[in-house]
Amino acid sequence: MWFRKSVLVIPGRVIALLFGITLLLFPLITADEAILRIVTFAAIFSLYAVSWDTLSGYTGQLSLGHALFFGVAAYASALLDLHFELSVWLTIPIGSCVGALIGLIVGLPALRLRGIYLGLVTLAFPIILSGIIFYFSDFTGGEAGLYGLSRLAEDKVTAYYIVIAIVMCSIFIMFKFTDAKSRILRTGLLLRAIREDEMTARASGIDTIKYKLLAFAISGFFAGIAGGLYAHYIRVAGPSTLELIFSIQVVLWAIFGGMGTIYGPVAGVFILYPLTEIIRFYPHGEEVRFILLSLILILSLLFMPEGITVWVRDKIEQECTRCKVINAATRRTCRACRAPMYLTKKENANQGKE
Amino acid sequence: MTVPFLQVENLTKDFGGLRAVEDVSFTIDRNEVVGLIGPNGAGKTTLIRLLMNILKPTAGKVTLKGEDITGQKTAKIVNKGMASTFQVVKPFRHLPVAANVMVACLSPKTKRKGEWVKTVELRALDALEFCGIADLALEPASVLSHGDLKRLELARAIATEPELLLLDEPFGGLSPAETTLVAGSLRRLHKGGRFGRLHSEGPAMLIVEHKLSELMKIVDRVIVINFGKVIAIDVPGNVVKNKDVIEAYIGKGGK
Repeated sequence: MWFRKSVLVIPGRVIALLFGITLLLFPLITADEAILRIVTFAAIFSLYAVSWDTLSGYTGQLSLGHALFFGVAAYASALLDLHFELSVWLTIPIGSCVGALIGLIVGLPALRLRGIYLGLVTLAFPIILSGIIFYFSDFTGGEAGLYGLSRLAEDKVTAYYIVIAIVMCSIFIMFKFTDAKSRILRTGLLLRAIREDEMTARASGIDTIKYKLLAFAISGFFAGIAGGLYAHYIRVAGPSTLELIFSIQVVLWAIFGGMGTIYGPVAGVFILYPLTEIIRFYPHGEEVRFILLSLILILSLLFMPEGITVWVRDKIEQECTRCKVINAATRRTCRACRAPMYLTKKENANQGKE
Repeated sequence: MTVPFLQVENLTKDFGGLRAVEDVSFTIDRNEVVGLIGPNGAGKTTLIRLLMNILKPTAGKVTLKGEDITGQKTAKIVNKGMASTFQVVKPFRHLPVAANVMVACLSPKTKRKGEWVKTVELRALDALEFCGIADLALEPASVLSHGDLKRLELARAIATEPELLLLDEPFGGLSPAETTLVAGSLRRLHKGGRFGRLHSEGPAMLIVEHKLSELMKIVDRVIVINFGKVIAIDVPGNVVKNKDVIEAYIGKGGK
């Protein structure tokens, strides 16, 4: 059975599966609304972080203003909801399409710039947009934002399930989109090729412009879904969704979790976001939490420079040196080619003598 | 009159005040191997980059199979059947060797039906096998030695199934043994039939090279350039006797 052969033998996938099941059963574990709220936010932010990773981690187009897509979609959904009274099931998709469109527009300078310079240009876009929002405050609500949006669902548990379902589907699509070993799509490979060396990719006959814009649009679209869900969940679309700190936070989450992996940013958000929220409940939490967060980040970057998930993965998984199949670290022989994964001390000593 | 396969007319490139390539014109036939030689800084690499439109020419015209390709996107030129290798190897370092070549097999002309991903993989392995590095297919490109990287570069170029292959110093930095091997595979490639386009001829080639002894064995004609100008186009036997060429390489005999 493919499930037993390709999921249960790899510890990383088992952990991902267990995590998914836990998320689905979470409302049964606790009925506490505050905790449910934190997990819902974590799910929304993990979608946002994964969309950043698709663009910056995989395609190598550094975006330091990712809040733009999130905020644009939040505002677009809110305006559609308040002025046209569309249902939630229309406002969020339309909002995310606006996000994708903005992604294409932001992608245009990306065709000429790269690295930190592109980062600086993308950084400017959300600042421009917040300026526009404050200028047309009659229409956009200005400082207070647009409030009184319709709910995702009447009760918290249903809303939780709606969010989880949409987030899981979206993350799965992005996982397939960026998977270099996929049997259907080859975009994952091409995006990585563009990240590694754009010139070589072009000389290999790949239209890099098309794929870079595609990455921007996809990333904008899914960040838009996150933005729309967020706006409808808290029922406010405010200028805070466009703040600089919100753009930077997604970079921190993704780097802490592991850039260039889809599960990394998810893990990063689900570890860091609840942590910062829980600290708040303790005395002086509000002041301490950013110091603590920075400490965690500095330490993690020192000891786990590739991110926490990659660090854990290397501990529990091992690649067969011969056939490059992933094995559990506990195995002595490769599950595919039976080559020994490592030698015992005794064998090691014997090998020298022969 | 038949249209020449590749025709270069009055190609010129200025870098600020420096005229790197000046008024270069030549043609290449469909079944020809042409060498491009010249002293350091003569503009050989620039010329290749101009043909691929990695650099934009200041003036001039390049036609491939009668179609004007001056100023078209590099990727589009590659898909029209002209591929090149780089002098300085630039692989996708973190991707496996096989994936490096697979990227080149994914051009828009690849049919995307049925088991196409499998076909692409097989074609990539075929190209690697042809260049003799199929055993390294699963290793990341960053662990390869320079000679293997050169061969990977060649595999990547031929995986695009070119009709015209521009090779920028394919023997650069290779050991004598490796040079013989690569020269051998280039000859086989030109004969055709073996790789990719099974029922067709091998690609025409334009080879930039400094190892003249190896180069002269492969090529039908040699183009010599110096200071961006063509100083001789002739068969190898005559080129080595040409006065201008000797002068460019060794200098004038002083009296």
